[in-house]
Amino acid sequence: MVAATSQRANVMRSALWAGLIALIAGGVLSLATSASAETHVVEMRGFEFFPAEVNAAIGDTIVWINKDVVPHTATAADGAWDSGLMETDDEFSLTIEADTSTGDYVCTFHPNMVGVISLD
Amino acid sequence: MFRKIFLPCAAGLFAVLGASAANAEDGGLNDMQIAHIAYVAGQIDIQYAEIAMKRSHNADVRAFAETMLRDHKSVNDAALALLEKLGATPEDNPTSKSLLASAAAKRAELKALKGAAFDRAYAANELSYHQFVNKTVEGTFIPAAQNAEFKDLLGVALATFKVHESHAEKLVKKLGK
Repeated sequence: MVAATSQRANVMRSALWAGLIALIAGGVLSLATSASAETHVVEMRGFEFFPAEVNAAIGDTIVWINKDVVPHTATAADGAWDSGLMETDDEFSLTIEADTSTGDYVCTFHPNMVGVISLD
Repeated sequence: MFRKIFLPCAAGLFAVLGASAANAEDGGLNDMQIAHIAYVAGQIDIQYAEIAMKRSHNADVRAFAETMLRDHKSVNDAALALLEKLGATPEDNPTSKSLLASAAAKRAELKALKGAAFDRAYAANELSYHQFVNKTVEGTFIPAAQNAEFKDLLGVALATFKVHESHAEKLVKKLGK
């Protein structure tokens, strides 16, 4: 009876340690990922995206800022994501995930405005 | 038929803006008169776009007209904000009046058309209108403007209208003759 109780206590202790180690490992991994993630700023200026091409990695964030006096959009060419109408000084953020549509994007109001997101 | 309808209108606009160019070069137009003409020119294109939104069912034409509504309103709002900041008031002048008279005639022509004929006429007018406005803003208004901030804003407006001209050119080609 005493031996069985002790054995159960050992199993529980092991499970708790395993859980604790997993939590710490997960936290460290998460911190490592967020520490390496970059933010890329793209200005909409003079009816162009500056820079026109962004090399991003999974976890990175791209921030568009409209510096023109007229509204723009940042819209995936395949329509997978869309900033919607951005007035002057409006910002739009997109975090790149594994399933985020990359490649060409446009301003739907001004078809000459084209940008590219390339995956690192 | 197409040329017969639109060349006289383009010529009329050219005459109006040509007269304003001569005035500006002679020192006849001040910043506030130029501001009034530029504002009126924007309002005229907004009115053309409003007609297009009522009469056209073509997706490309409607998208272009919506862009004209958004962009010209934004540029004119920026102009009004600058004038307010400067404590200045735009001055009405004969060129603005002539522009408005020419535009009224053009609106009547457009309203008499429908379907593909309207779409082609609207697109062609947008191209010729932006061509002449851009030529005047770049060649006359910007060199004549005295206030640095106003001159900069005219530069921003010109960049916007040049994009519109390029967009209109593509629209004209897409709609065909």
